[in-house]
Parts: sequence; C-alpha cells; structure tokens
Amino acid sequence: MTNLLIALAPEAFLVITALVVLGIGVSAPKARGAITAATLLGGLVAAAALLLHPVDGNFLHGMVVLNPLARLFKLVLLGLGLVSVVFAAESFPKLHFAEALALLLFSMVGMMLLAGTEDLLMIFLALELTSLPLYILAAFAKESRASAEAGLKYFLIGSVAAAFLLYGLSLIYGVAGSTNLRVIAKLSGDPDPLLIAGIALTLLGFAFKIAVVPFQLWAPDVYEGAPTAAAALIASGSKVAGVFILTKILTLGLGHWTGTAGWGQFAPGWAPVLALMAAASVVLGNVAALVQSNVKRLLAYSAIAHGGYLLIGLCAADAPSLTAVLFYVIIYALTTAGAFGVVVIVEKQRGGSHLEDFEGLGKSSPVLALCLLVFLISLAGIPPLAGFFGKFYLFTSALANGRHLWLVILAVAMNAVSLYYYLIVLKHALVLPAPKETVPTAAPASKFLVVLLALAVLALGLAPNALIGPLSNGQTVKNIIINTLQK
Amino acid sequence: MSLALFWIFAILTLLFAVGVVVFRSPVSSAMSLVMSFVGLAALFVTLDAFFIAVVQVLVYAGAVMVLFLFIIMLLDLRTEERRPVKLAAWAGGGIVLAGFLVAIARVISSLPGATNTKPEILPGLNDVAQVGVALFRNFNLPFQIIGVLLLVATIGVVVLSRRELK
Repeated sequence: MTNLLIALAPEAFLVITALVVLGIGVSAPKARGAITAATLLGGLVAAAALLLHPVDGNFLHGMVVLNPLARLFKLVLLGLGLVSVVFAAESFPKLHFAEALALLLFSMVGMMLLAGTEDLLMIFLALELTSLPLYILAAFAKESRASAEAGLKYFLIGSVAAAFLLYGLSLIYGVAGSTNLRVIAKLSGDPDPLLIAGIALTLLGFAFKIAVVPFQLWAPDVYEGAPTAAAALIASGSKVAGVFILTKILTLGLGHWTGTAGWGQFAPGWAPVLALMAAASVVLGNVAALVQSNVKRLLAYSAIAHGGYLLIGLCAADAPSLTAVLFYVIIYALTTAGAFGVVVIVEKQRGGSHLEDFEGLGKSSPVLALCLLVFLISLAGIPPLAGFFGKFYLFTSALANGRHLWLVILAVAMNAVSLYYYLIVLKHALVLPAPKETVPTAAPASKFLVVLLALAVLALGLAPNALIGPLSNGQTVKNIIINTLQK
Repeated sequence: MSLALFWIFAILTLLFAVGVVVFRSPVSSAMSLVMSFVGLAALFVTLDAFFIAVVQVLVYAGAVMVLFLFIIMLLDLRTEERRPVKLAAWAGGGIVLAGFLVAIARVISSLPGATNTKPEILPGLNDVAQVGVALFRNFNLPFQIIGVLLLVATIGVVVLSRRELK
C-alpha cells in the first residue's frame, strides 16, 4: 500500500500542483510569474519523487506497473510537459493563464499514468485524461478564429477516435475476459473474428493519437490554430505517450497476432495493417509538407511523416526495432519541441509563423537561427545529429528482421523529399534578408530552453548510447546493430 | 406473472421508442424517450438486475433527459415540418431494416442461450453492494482518475463558454 503511494507520488504531486495553481489563479489571476513558478516547482518536485525514490513493481493487478523503462518515459513526458509550461508564458493569452497551466499539468498526469500501466481500463482513462485538457488548450485563444476551429476539429475527431478505441478495447476485453495485457497475451491459436475487429478498431484509435493516416486530418489545423505551447505538447508529449503505449499493447498483449509485412512473405496480423498505415503516412506527410507556407503546418505534415517512420519500426516488432522506435520517438519529441520553441519566440517577435516571418532570423538572433538549424537538420536525419541516429537505427533494424525492404526504400526516398522543405525553412531563416527592421523581444526562459534542447539533440547525436542503454537493458548501440545485422 | 410483465413492458418500451421517431414535436419525442427508458428499467427489474434498473432511471431517464429538454428549450426548437414522403427513401430504408432484422434474428437464434434457459447466476445477489465494493476496492484508482477527468471537463466548460468582461 505504501509502495503504491510512492509509485503514484509524481502524479499525485502534479494533481496537487494543478489544484494549487487553480487556487492562485482565482486569488491573483494577474500574477503570471507566480503561477508559472508554482507549476515548475510542482513539476520539479514530481521529477524528484520519480528520481530519488524509485519503486519497481506491479500494483493493483497491473493497473500501475513500474520498471526502469516506464520510469524513464515518465521522466521524459514530465520534461516535455514542463518545456511547454515554459513556452506557455509566451504563447498563451493572458486571460485564464492559471487554468491553462493547470490543464497542461492534468494532461501530463494522463501521459505519465499511461506510461506506467498494463491495463486496458487504465490505458483508456489515461488517454482521455491526456487528450481532454489538450482539446481545451487547443481552443484556448478565444479571440482567435483559428484556435476555435482547431479546438473543435481536434475534439470532434478525437471523440470519434476515442469511440473506435473504446469499442476495440472492449472487444479485446470481451474475448480475453480480462483487461490485463499479460492475461490477454495468454490467448493463442486462431484469432476470434471479434478479436480481429477489436485489434483493427484499436489501431484506428491510435492512428489519431500519433497522427498517422487515416486519422491524420486534424494535425495541420490543430498545430496551426492552437496556441503554440499547446501544439508543442500535442506534437511531442502526446505522441511519445501514444507510441509507447501502442508498442506495449501490441507487443505485450497482442504479440501472438503480429504477422509479417515483408515483401512476398505476408502473414496476417497487425503488422501488415501498420505497414500500410506507415507507407501512406510517409508519402502523404512528406509530399503535402512541400507546399506549406506556414511553419507550424509544415511541422504538422512532418509529424505525420515521422509517425509513419515510427510505425515501420513497430512493424518489424523485434527487440532491436522496438528499442529503435522508443529511441526515435524520444529524439523526435525533443527535436520537435525545440522547433516549436523557436516558432513560439518568432511568433512573439513577428506576430506570425509564416515562412516570411522567419526571414532575417539569422541576423536578428543568430543563436535562435542556429538552434532552428540543429532541429530541422535533425528532423531531416543528417549526421551527426540525433535524428540521423534515430533513423539509421530504425531502418537498419527494420531491414534485418522481416525484410521490410520495400518500406525502408519508400521511407528513405521520402526522407530525401523531406530535406527540401526543411531547407526551404532554413533558407528563409538564414539566407533571405529581413523585410523590415524588427526589435527582438526578450523571452529569456524560452530561449534558454531552446538552446538546451538543441544541445540535447546535438549531445544525443554524438553519444546515442546514453539513451539507448536505458532503453535496451544496457546494450550499446553498436552491440544492438551488430545483433540486428547478424540475424 | 413475470412473463406477462415482460410482454407488457417490452411492448411499452418499443411503442415509445417508435414514438421518439414518429412524433413531430421535439418535446413529445423527448418525453416518449423517457417512457421508453422507464420501460427498459422495468425490464431490468424483471431480470432481478435492480442496480442497473435504478441507474437506468436515475441517469438516463433523469439526468440525461433533463439535459435533452434543456437543450431543446435553449435552442427553442419548433415542431418539425412535414416533409413529402419519398418512396425511394422508404423502400431503401425498409430493405436495410429488413436485412438488419434478419441478421439479428439469425445471430440470436444461433446463440446457445436462445433455446435453453440458463440457471440464475447467484440467487439473492446484492448487486448494489457488489458494484460498490468493486468500484471502491478493485477499481479505486480508475474511479479517482475519472474524478480528475470530470474536473478537467468542468474547467474546460467554464473557461471556454465564459463571456469575458472587458
């Protein structure tokens, strides 16, 4: 019992912080500095609870499951949430600021619960707790039409996807007779038709969460219309949590029905479905990003493409490729959070996030432009940045197992396409002169954080083992790649 | 006795369900939905599922229907206008309905429980107590998470629907 309390302490601290922040918001709504400080303090206490008093174990029949991997993801999600709390100070409307931060905290609680559970009921509740605050935050800029549209679209499509997911999960529960993933894993033999329907509906529901075809339509409008700090969390934290739990459901609970999506060796299961979703997302995301003139929209299409890359790793479904998926999603989240941070600052200085608003950035704030260069080049997957390592590792492990050559060729070709639109942004930021003199506005906290994220992306590119080690039970990148290639 | 009650309430439920679709005035539709829910609750009582029956009345016939009526009043909905009957639409709908009924009938008749009745699960089961114990012991954590979820929804409604004073 006490262990359970310790296990849930970080989430409990965050909920308490959210309530305190709401209280400050009622008594002193103008004290935005104090509100941000209280939120960050609560987050740090939660991080300390996570780091200083680690407990491992299985509580409440799998509803709360903690192990080093889950704790690592909780820490990453907490960090990503706090990053958007800092960005929120620059990009949220001044009105109801405390409520915005409290909602960010509640969403973080949902993500962290999601990372530490193996139970379908908890998974669904935690997903809803993650999404509901994000729906509200997307619509938070009340005077902006685009934000209202973003909120409504996100909410409607999200509700439909949640209905799919709930229906799918309940069918799986109906067949297995348990909501626990490890009990579900004991099912074997030919899948029940109901189970097939359940798996298909679950996959559709998660397609929304990680923004891949066929539930990708919301992403561009939401990324563009939502306050940028909210978009940053939707693009980073929400995606990390979604990918992590999807990996868990598919491999831990439904590992029997993986199938293969290899060329000429097709076997039915969820992997071929994921392969189709991956191929469609990679093509659609990268091609549609080519014609975007708004950087946030461009990042949205790039997010769809990256969702596709992640699914390729999931298709392969063996230990090295799953490690690669988890590595890649963390790298992607750090990079995209940083890119959104640059957008936050540019938006504050120039009032928009179109390509023209980035012109002359290299002159007016060289540090910021350099960070943008790091983020975009990492997203494009160019060495020595972390994004390159993520992709390289993802693709080599997908090649070694199941021979997903066709998917990898498609992904690499489309990755070359993606280089074009990332470089277009950089051309505007670094080469083209500013149309008019702009006064750089100080946003010291956000700027500091952006630099920090850029350094992290750089450092993880130079020493990927620092993250790969904890993800793969201490194996180094070199060992894993050697193992993969030998198979 | 129980069988007679079943038929009475089943017919009431279905009649009022048809009423929801047929009535032109939204308020009449909503009221017949209430009656349909009450009939359904009575069917649950005949099955000894008292908890579900009570929840059915409290939540659906009570809370949800009050919301329905509020929305009807707020939107000031008038009686629907009579539309010309389209033969093709009726025929299409009829075919879909017939196919659906056939499918349902086949599924139900193929179920093992359709022909031989199963014994009672646990005679004298106190279902309210059972649900309470399950909710507060085994599912305590999900229960509390739902509490946080409702708080989030409340904050969202207040923040988004509030008219700002300038």
